[in-house]
Amino acid sequence: MSERVPKYRYTAGQVTIVRAIWVLIGAVLALMTLFPLLWMVSISFKTQAEMFDMGLVPANPTLDNFRYVFTQVDFVRYLLNTFFVAATVTLVALLFHSMAGYALARLRFPGREAIFLTMFSTFLVSLPVIIVPLFILVRSLGMLNSFSGLIIPSIFNAFGIFLLRQFYLSVPRELEEAALIDGAGHFRIYWSVILPISRPILSALAILFFLANWNAFLWPLTVTRDPELRLVQVAIAGFQGQYTAAWNYIMAASTVVALPMLVLFLIFQRQIMDSLKTSGLK
Amino acid sequence: MTTDDSSSSVRRRMGGLTRRRLLTQGTAFGAAGLVGGVTGFPFINRLSARAQGAPLKFWQFYAPGGNVESQSQWFEKTVADWNASHEQQIELEYLPNADYMDGTRLPTAFASGEGPDLFIISPGDFLRYYNGGVLLDLTPFIEDAAKSDFSESVIANRMVDGKIFGIPMEVEPMAMYYSIPAFEEAGLNENDVPQTWDQLLDVAQKLTNDQRYGVLFDVTPGYYQNFTWYPFMWQGGGDIQGADGQSSFNSPAVIQALKLWQDAVNMGAAPRQVLGGGGFDIVPNLGSGYVAMQNVGIWGIAALRDGAPDLPYGVFKLPVPQGGKYVTVGGGWAFVANARGANPEAAGEFCAWALASMSPDSVQRVTDWCTVAKSDMPPRASALEAGGAAYQEGMMGVFSREIYPGTRAEPRVPPEVYKIVSDAIQATMLGGQDPAAAAAAASDQLNAFLSGYSGAPVL
Amino acid sequence: MTLQQTDTAAGPRPAARRRLSFRTREKIAGYLFVLPDALGLLVFVGLPMLLALGLGFFEVDGFGGYRFAGLANYRRMWADPLFWQSLGATLLYAAMLVPSLYVSGLGLALLVERTNAWNGVLRAIFFLPQMVSLVVVALIWKMLTVEKIGAISRALSPLGLGGISFLGNPDWAMFAVVFVSVWFLMGFYMLIFLGGLQDIPKEYYEAARIDGAGPLSSFWFITLPLLRPTSFFVLLVSLVTAVAGGAAFDLIYVMTKGGPANSTSLLIFYAYQQAFQYNSFGYAGAIASILVAVLLLVTLVMFLLTRGGRFQYE
Repeated sequence: MSERVPKYRYTAGQVTIVRAIWVLIGAVLALMTLFPLLWMVSISFKTQAEMFDMGLVPANPTLDNFRYVFTQVDFVRYLLNTFFVAATVTLVALLFHSMAGYALARLRFPGREAIFLTMFSTFLVSLPVIIVPLFILVRSLGMLNSFSGLIIPSIFNAFGIFLLRQFYLSVPRELEEAALIDGAGHFRIYWSVILPISRPILSALAILFFLANWNAFLWPLTVTRDPELRLVQVAIAGFQGQYTAAWNYIMAASTVVALPMLVLFLIFQRQIMDSLKTSGLK
Repeated sequence: MTTDDSSSSVRRRMGGLTRRRLLTQGTAFGAAGLVGGVTGFPFINRLSARAQGAPLKFWQFYAPGGNVESQSQWFEKTVADWNASHEQQIELEYLPNADYMDGTRLPTAFASGEGPDLFIISPGDFLRYYNGGVLLDLTPFIEDAAKSDFSESVIANRMVDGKIFGIPMEVEPMAMYYSIPAFEEAGLNENDVPQTWDQLLDVAQKLTNDQRYGVLFDVTPGYYQNFTWYPFMWQGGGDIQGADGQSSFNSPAVIQALKLWQDAVNMGAAPRQVLGGGGFDIVPNLGSGYVAMQNVGIWGIAALRDGAPDLPYGVFKLPVPQGGKYVTVGGGWAFVANARGANPEAAGEFCAWALASMSPDSVQRVTDWCTVAKSDMPPRASALEAGGAAYQEGMMGVFSREIYPGTRAEPRVPPEVYKIVSDAIQATMLGGQDPAAAAAAASDQLNAFLSGYSGAPVL
Repeated sequence: MTLQQTDTAAGPRPAARRRLSFRTREKIAGYLFVLPDALGLLVFVGLPMLLALGLGFFEVDGFGGYRFAGLANYRRMWADPLFWQSLGATLLYAAMLVPSLYVSGLGLALLVERTNAWNGVLRAIFFLPQMVSLVVVALIWKMLTVEKIGAISRALSPLGLGGISFLGNPDWAMFAVVFVSVWFLMGFYMLIFLGGLQDIPKEYYEAARIDGAGPLSSFWFITLPLLRPTSFFVLLVSLVTAVAGGAAFDLIYVMTKGGPANSTSLLIFYAYQQAFQYNSFGYAGAIASILVAVLLLVTLVMFLLTRGGRFQYE
């Protein structure tokens, strides 16, 4: 095996050129992706008068918009509310979905595929379609205007189950079998074998779930009335008036809201990449 | 500041109480609600888990922290004044404007039997709620002197069979705004302000350059676009529905109005996209210099005052077609009460007390709303009088003297009719369809709809 | 810590284990593992879904009045030109969006697959659009694409394309919406593909390289086949996204409101309008039920063709 000479062999120079091209492509694409968002940041530093002058660099940069956002409304509270809701939903959802995904992928029980397809079919409707009956249901459960009303209905979605099932399908059998021979029960296999190797996919899902709830608008708006329970996107929408919108405030608030997400992403994306190496799977 | 804090902490405590009460009631109703939901479909659910004597909910979109502080303050003061003198308390609840306009919150509330006790609606929504049977007849609460204080054109589209179902808080007529610097740049002055459609297109073309469009008509499909288009239809004598109850949409007046907007776009004098929130948003468009003339309502005065105070601008009334007659459209929102609310009696009383009583407080409240909180025409003669100087000077003077006298109230049309008209405007203006063909097709659809329509008269 | 937990968890078990066969225990575990999600989905999605779609057989006024209407809503749909136009728009949108997302998601994932600081930054940037609220996304893209003065129009004006209104011209609007959708969603799929790529043992590539395979052939013969479960997921999810709503609906709602001239009126948006603007909850339910039925059919076919999305596994 080691005797055979690879047909393709690159000189150091070729490798450098390829790497450089790779970096260049990445940089160009990144700039194109970033470009529209620069306007958000730019407007958040602009005064109302120059908001729509189309220039990217503010002529008279100001922090007033940020000051307004944090002083005129209880924005810190909204951020904390949102963090609490998003974090709780994410944690519980990851637990439930990984359990369900594991069972649907690996355990054999009658009706498994039918259960999975039925669960998947709930993925085929989006919130606006079901919002009226869902609202009535949540009301009859006494969960209106409460954190439980914000959190519990947001936990369940077939997307996460589906993704985890697809992931667990490709986990090598040997891992489980080794544990089974040791006499471990299914819960123990799930907890000490499956969960640890799921870190990359769970990290990816954590980002997606947290983000979806961090930016949620329609459900929080529908289920709560109490200003004490307000979440950030509902608060930001309040900056839009009848005939005019305070875009500078909206942009400043949105920039503030995006920052924690960016930090979270930078933390978790390392997990996605690194964990397989440390789990000793390969 | 301190009073604000203490009142909010009181509200918080009360909120806690009601929530706890709601919770116990909620569990009691839980089983019944679930059974009702499963057996009889959710939309029959009229169970109200609301405790007797709880504050009435008043939904609107003037949020505190929004960009016009004086407007939310007016609402807070109005409700505080009522609460200070009445046993039945009222509580303000805010929805974001974008959601109130065409979102899900209000429809969801009504569909689930949880509609607010008090809310505000525009003429565009009137028939939807009236035909749904949720609007309370406010006539018994309004004294006769006050009834005649509202001008006919303003109150008519809130009335059915001589009864009043909504009390207008404002009148917002449409006009044309123009940027004086843009005119000067193009070598024009106030004598060139267009008075006919031909002049409008001509001037718009002159004002157009590689950075700027001459004139802006709204482009986004929606109630607002229809609203701004109606006066152009009326000016040539056109209308949606004839006296015979049939569609009168397939007429030369309608076709020429469709063609006017189409021509403006086709000759490159009007944009297909607008900046900011939409065609009603004047600062990002006229204020930024993107357009030289913009078709906007009276609120543009306040918006420009706040958002582009340094821009010299002028206002003129909508130009008319050959042989046409000047008319503009007046929008504006109204207080309405939910006939199926917790305490309709008190809700109706509140509407009349707030906006339609002959007491000086009530008149002043209307005046304050239209002059301090907004820059609108008042729906009441007495409020116009009380507004005094505010309606004599500057741009407001132009509106009250020249623009307002030709105002026709925004038509109330059922959603289906709105959509047919909207499709015709969109297809011609942006889709390039032949106006005559579009009008004919829309007219057929209107006839098909009207023949099966049984709600309150379309106005 | 792990040891302790497993010890206590295993405590009461041996007795039970002796009584039940392995198969039975596997079955019980399977049901118990699925139970929380199954129950939650049933109550908070399944039940509301059945109720909403069931309204397709009713005439609903949106204020508590309803009346059984049989197939009236479905007959109305058959004769409604806007339904067919919206269906066409939906198919066009899905036909453009699904392959674009697949290619861009996988392409970006391959681009930033290697772990280093630079790629960490790139990943964050490609994912950034997802982090911004849709109102902001809409406002910015409307600003960028506005005729004459928008940044994109100015960039294109040397080519003579400066006067194009990408969102205001029915010939362009759908392409513009697809473009923005891809921009918005590609980071999401990049993330999923990254997860999938991590799953492929690096030894395979090493062996292939030694066997003389170039980068293209190892992509073709190793990456793509081993990515099949992920690809299956991405294709199905992006199809559902394009057809049944989620992000697609939100983007249309904030950017074009279905215009100009109904050119971007996706079926899900049309159903939304029927429900919340015209109070025709019954008709909306009927339209949504068609969407669900079509998607269910496609899903079933895909599942049958791929042995439940399992491919060669099991």
